[in-house]
Amino acid sequence: MPIFTSEDKRMSLVNAASIVQDGMTIAIGGGLSWREPMALLRELIRQGRHNLHVVGTAHGVDVDLLCGAGAINVVEESYIGFEQDFGMAPNFRRACESGRVQVRDTCCHTIIQQLRAAEFGVPFLPVRSVQGTDFLRLHPEYKTMTCPFTGLPLVLVPALAPDVAIIHAQYGDAQGNLKILPPLVADLFFIRASRHVIASVEQLLPTDELRAMEPNVPYFWVESVVEVPYGAHPTSCYPFYAYDRAHLAEYYQAAQAGQDTFASEYLARYVFGPATHDEYLSRIGGQAKREELESWKDGEDAWRALFTAPEGAIT
Amino acid sequence: MNEEPIIYATLPEVMIFQVARTIQDGEVVFHGYGSPVPTLAMLLAKRAHAPHMVHIEGATYGINPEPPFLPPTSNDWSLEQGSVMAIGISELFDIAARGDMGRMFLSGVQVDCHGNLNVTAIGDPDSPRVKLPGSGGGCNLSGDVQHVTIWTTGHRAPTNKAGKRQFRFVQHIDFISSIGHISRDGISRQALGLRGGGPDWVVTELGVFDFDPVTHVLRLRALYPDTTVQDVLDNTEFEPVIAPEVSIVPLPAPEHVALIRRFDPLRTHQREFKSTDLSRCFDL
Repeated sequence: MPIFTSEDKRMSLVNAASIVQDGMTIAIGGGLSWREPMALLRELIRQGRHNLHVVGTAHGVDVDLLCGAGAINVVEESYIGFEQDFGMAPNFRRACESGRVQVRDTCCHTIIQQLRAAEFGVPFLPVRSVQGTDFLRLHPEYKTMTCPFTGLPLVLVPALAPDVAIIHAQYGDAQGNLKILPPLVADLFFIRASRHVIASVEQLLPTDELRAMEPNVPYFWVESVVEVPYGAHPTSCYPFYAYDRAHLAEYYQAAQAGQDTFASEYLARYVFGPATHDEYLSRIGGQAKREELESWKDGEDAWRALFTAPEGAIT
Repeated sequence: MNEEPIIYATLPEVMIFQVARTIQDGEVVFHGYGSPVPTLAMLLAKRAHAPHMVHIEGATYGINPEPPFLPPTSNDWSLEQGSVMAIGISELFDIAARGDMGRMFLSGVQVDCHGNLNVTAIGDPDSPRVKLPGSGGGCNLSGDVQHVTIWTTGHRAPTNKAGKRQFRFVQHIDFISSIGHISRDGISRQALGLRGGGPDWVVTELGVFDFDPVTHVLRLRALYPDTTVQDVLDNTEFEPVIAPEVSIVPLPAPEHVALIRRFDPLRTHQREFKSTDLSRCFDL
């Protein structure tokens, strides 16, 4: 893996996102509705990236948005959906059912083993599971063998080194050291297995302040760092903000209404419309919205209230 | 509300209690994300009959959490509250892979007679008629975990607009996302080299099932006070085994119901149920 030793990795959102090229395999940090690098993904869409192959575990609005914008053609994740909140992912479903996106579903432990093989510098790792399931049919690259030590059947999964890991961290410094707070999901595996790492952070801090937080990603894996407050919106990024349930309901309704409505009601308004991230922040509701999403800190009642309204469409 | 005496339990609460009863004390237990029924079953079991159970939370991997409420998404800090710490994704799956995870909970949009589950695609997976969200960790865990409880709130088969019954318990499964007792090619778990014992209990809104020890076919063991053997037969596309003595499920005690209501003030678990099942209530 390349080593990035520059003292100053600070970049604009535009330049950081341009490291991703058409046809690359990308790993998106975070998971479900938590700490996904949404500002970087919106920038990828604005730059017109397409034919991307996404790999990872359980995701939601991030991959659904990329599907709705026509940016990806292979999804190799373990789950794409909105759980109990809104149910199935409309753009992802449409893309898979129309054949625009190739279904390459994977499973959490399988993909972690593949990333660990890349991290360890070995060509594959074995798993005992997966036998008897139809994932073997979906993935001709998996091989089976009889273990030379135990005589038991094993599935071998090849090393997987994504071209770019796209990460949103809470804190970082100019050199690219990062502090990611848990749940870490698969971020550290993506970072150690990928050829390039681009990161947005809620706050850029002086190195001394970051050191006191015990960073968990060393700078030499990170190629670029961008300070983007609310860079994970509409997913959550504690301790800064909870996820924006009202925005996700709006997203879901636009996506559910079809490709054209999604393009005119959502992509135009929130992805292509805002010229800057600051303008995006004002479109989502400005200061009042930010105060609301940060009110989880005010105690259990305030936190719970963020999950009660509005009622979204449930499939 | 906490002050009022609890005199009834809803069907969802009774189902949560049945799922909780499948948990043994002292085992490491994990639920997937997007699984409020098993989440509440685990929170209940640890405070009822399984105080030494190790609760690993579904997406945060927090250990023994005390959440103030269940949000409708799983990777939320609220679900980590009260945990001393959380483990990481590789640690979690390694526990299962080396055979140390006692129980986990899986569901499916299609369930076949041997407990194989489909959450991947309806139709041909290469050009699916319906692309389902995916199995998360279910494919790996179904092979590795010692025991699996299957739950579903969709046993009752509705009739679609074309007049065709839409069974969840199907004769033919389109895609095996997680393995039950026997593979599509008729191979047993043992011959596949799988570590875990497979699904031992199946809890639905119509009844509680296990698997026949010889044929490994789904077997009815207990009904709710308001369901019948005929309901089960009518809503299952294949022929399930009916145990010689089918009992009526035990109902939770009022303190069990109180715990469920305390942990889920947002009633997130009700999102898993059809409205007709939400209105089923049983006097305690």
